Amino acid sequence: MRTLGPDRLPVLARGFSLLGSGGGGTTTLLEIMAARVLDGAVDLHDLDEVDPGTPCVAAGFAGSTYLLTERVPSADAFAPLLAAAERWTGVRAAAVCAMEGAGLNGLTPLLVGDRMLVDADLMGRALPGIDQLSLLVDAVPGAIVVADTGGGVMLVDSSRAGDAESLVRSSVIRAGGAGAVLVAGFTVGDLRAHGIPGTYTRALALGAADIGGDDLPEARVLGSGRVSAVDAVPDDAFVRSVELVGDDGALLRLVARSEFLAVTRDGETIAASPEILVAIDSVSGEVLQVDAVTLARHVRVVALDAPPWWLASAERLARVIPAAYGLRGLEVGR
Amino acid sequence: MTPLDLGALLAHPANGGIRVVVEAADAFAGVTVAAREAMLPDRGTAGLAALTEPAPTAPWQQDALVRRVRDRGFQGLALSGAEVLGPGSRRLAARLGLTVLEVDDPMALARAGWELVQGRDALTLGYVRRVAQSIEYSASHLADLLRHLSASVGHGVALVDAEGVLLEAGGHLPEAVRAAIDVGLWQDAVSVAEGAAASVRVDSPSRAGLRLAMFGAGLSPAQLSALAVAAEVAMPAVAARILIDEVADVSDAAVASGLLREFLEARDARDPDVEQRMSERGWRTGGYHLAFRIAGRRRLETLELLRFVRRGLAALPVDSQAVTSGRGVTGWLSFAEPPPAPRLDEHVASLRALHDGARRSFDVATGIGSLDSGAGGLLASIDGAVDGARIAAARAATGWFVRVDALGIEQVLLSWAGSDTFVPAAESLLAPLASQGPELLETLTAYLDHESGVSATAAALGLHRNTVAMRIARAQELLGIDLTDVDARLALHLACRALR
Repeated sequence: MRTLGPDRLPVLARGFSLLGSGGGGTTTLLEIMAARVLDGAVDLHDLDEVDPGTPCVAAGFAGSTYLLTERVPSADAFAPLLAAAERWTGVRAAAVCAMEGAGLNGLTPLLVGDRMLVDADLMGRALPGIDQLSLLVDAVPGAIVVADTGGGVMLVDSSRAGDAESLVRSSVIRAGGAGAVLVAGFTVGDLRAHGIPGTYTRALALGAADIGGDDLPEARVLGSGRVSAVDAVPDDAFVRSVELVGDDGALLRLVARSEFLAVTRDGETIAASPEILVAIDSVSGEVLQVDAVTLARHVRVVALDAPPWWLASAERLARVIPAAYGLRGLEVGR
Repeated sequence: MTPLDLGALLAHPANGGIRVVVEAADAFAGVTVAAREAMLPDRGTAGLAALTEPAPTAPWQQDALVRRVRDRGFQGLALSGAEVLGPGSRRLAARLGLTVLEVDDPMALARAGWELVQGRDALTLGYVRRVAQSIEYSASHLADLLRHLSASVGHGVALVDAEGVLLEAGGHLPEAVRAAIDVGLWQDAVSVAEGAAASVRVDSPSRAGLRLAMFGAGLSPAQLSALAVAAEVAMPAVAARILIDEVADVSDAAVASGLLREFLEARDARDPDVEQRMSERGWRTGGYHLAFRIAGRRRLETLELLRFVRRGLAALPVDSQAVTSGRGVTGWLSFAEPPPAPRLDEHVASLRALHDGARRSFDVATGIGSLDSGAGGLLASIDGAVDGARIAAARAATGWFVRVDALGIEQVLLSWAGSDTFVPAAESLLAPLASQGPELLETLTAYLDHESGVSATAAALGLHRNTVAMRIARAQELLGIDLTDVDARLALHLACRALR
């Protein structure tokens, strides 16, 4: 068990920003909200310390993270979702973890007060789809998803991950483009087998490291350079290709949707999702969201190791590689 | 194996429509065609890869394509849709040393590459066959034949001599290239920075020193030697065409000249047959006419002059005719409506320019008639032009050019008075005065010039008026002419002018 004091919030937030791979949303808002909600330090429990039978929920926001900064969610946004989930499962969830251990969602579980915070999440990085939640990828029986419909709640109990994605997506759109989402109906024991453990520990370690000094743990520097173009891709309106003129003269290209999905160097893919690809402003050291990588900015591009959970099987991997988003020709090493 | 030059490939008429997108390497070992990059051989050995599949759309796929083609050892990549390559991919290609070409038809490019590197006979044969194809279509004149040749060969075609380009089609032959052509050789191939040309002498009995040249930019030696053969094959057709055109010209000029003579000789007696033939030739007698005559001051090639004049007239934005007539060319501009004075002056200025141009090669004098309407007007205008040309023949001061309108009728009369027939008559008329000393003739001339005013004459000559009156009376007595008789006065006045 570790204790997480309010003074650790900036470090944690920075760590989750890095795990965002260019997505996941900026953390500032959640830092402020969490600081208000928190009353002193919070205990962070390792999965091994908690009884495997403990019912657990995972909390996060879905939809446009940009929208959240304009329409600030209420601090008790998860209360109606929790009520619905506990009514459906019939038990009180004693533990909470993150749905997406990256970006602002890394801090979201802190808003769900009065539960035991366990050091785990369901993605290990930022990912855009509800169907990419580890519990749904592994089709864990009993797992349900509850979503805000904008005034009401919707509960999906389905073994098909695609259904959950589609229904939650429309629910979030009804809620105005962004809304709270809760995953329930699983235990801490399920998390050990089907979740990504240690996300908070990893975020704390990353957040504490000196980004400018090349000593990020598990990091690989891919290059640095000046943004020379940001191109749309004809086949897919959601994809953009950021072109960098590398400091060594090479042509670096960052291919992104809501997160950075691949980095190519002189036409060769040198890193790709599920590796966590981070663009850091060379001047300010700021961790940049995809849309903040703009023309003439000088950035450093770093790859953090992919959560091992995604690499464990071909089925899992197929959900997160660039081809899962319809992007061809971005296989590493080709 | 001869390297495949990019310039030669660009100059090849059937290169599949290539455009340079990125220029890095400018010579290749050959062309390799494949459906896509994965099917290219691993050892490209500095060749040009032509892919039949279009360029991928995603920027990273374009980067990857550029990189992989280069990694296989190719120095060039041609594919359709290469123009969509973004600036980053183009920079990458330039940095890796890969020339990228946009191509409409990769198979045609491959064939062109093969012809240039290995299949030189095929290249030559291709040109010769295309020359033969163009001869199949009848050409209406020499320029038309050159156009046909140029269109089917795919390069510019020009007829040149030692001075310059006479005719060209399908492009412009740079002066530097023309100057480099060795006119002494039967067959010649030159290549300078501005372009290249293969030429062959044209055997024409009527015009010496002509050459038929096929030219273009970036032509390789292989292409030039193939084009030289094509020029040799095309040459007899060109020579024959020159001869045919000349015979046709001569006979047409003779017919036109005869018709004009009949028209002029008939004067006001209208001959329906003549009018019929005139309208068949497109000579309109209705409307307004401004005639001109460009007459040789000595013997000259009227046909040559006619050709020159017709070329000049063709550039004027007005209906015009020109016909050989005697020792010169007679012609006229026709207008439906009388042109306003400034426009008319412009037309006269154009004719003046034509005259000045003609004087560089011919010793000619030009007269311009006055604007007149109808068939009778055309006759009158031509008569005026003929008179004008006669006056101009003696007027170096006006550049051997006279416009009758500006001259006035008295000038015409005077010029006629200065003719060989009138001067002896004038001399005999005034002989009595001449025998008495020059002062009588001088005083009489001044007296007639000053409207028979004794005082004015005295003032002009610086004499006392009594002296003038006395001399006039004496002259009248000697000549036996009544100065109050209008006809006699006029004849005397002209005679005085003729002898002055």
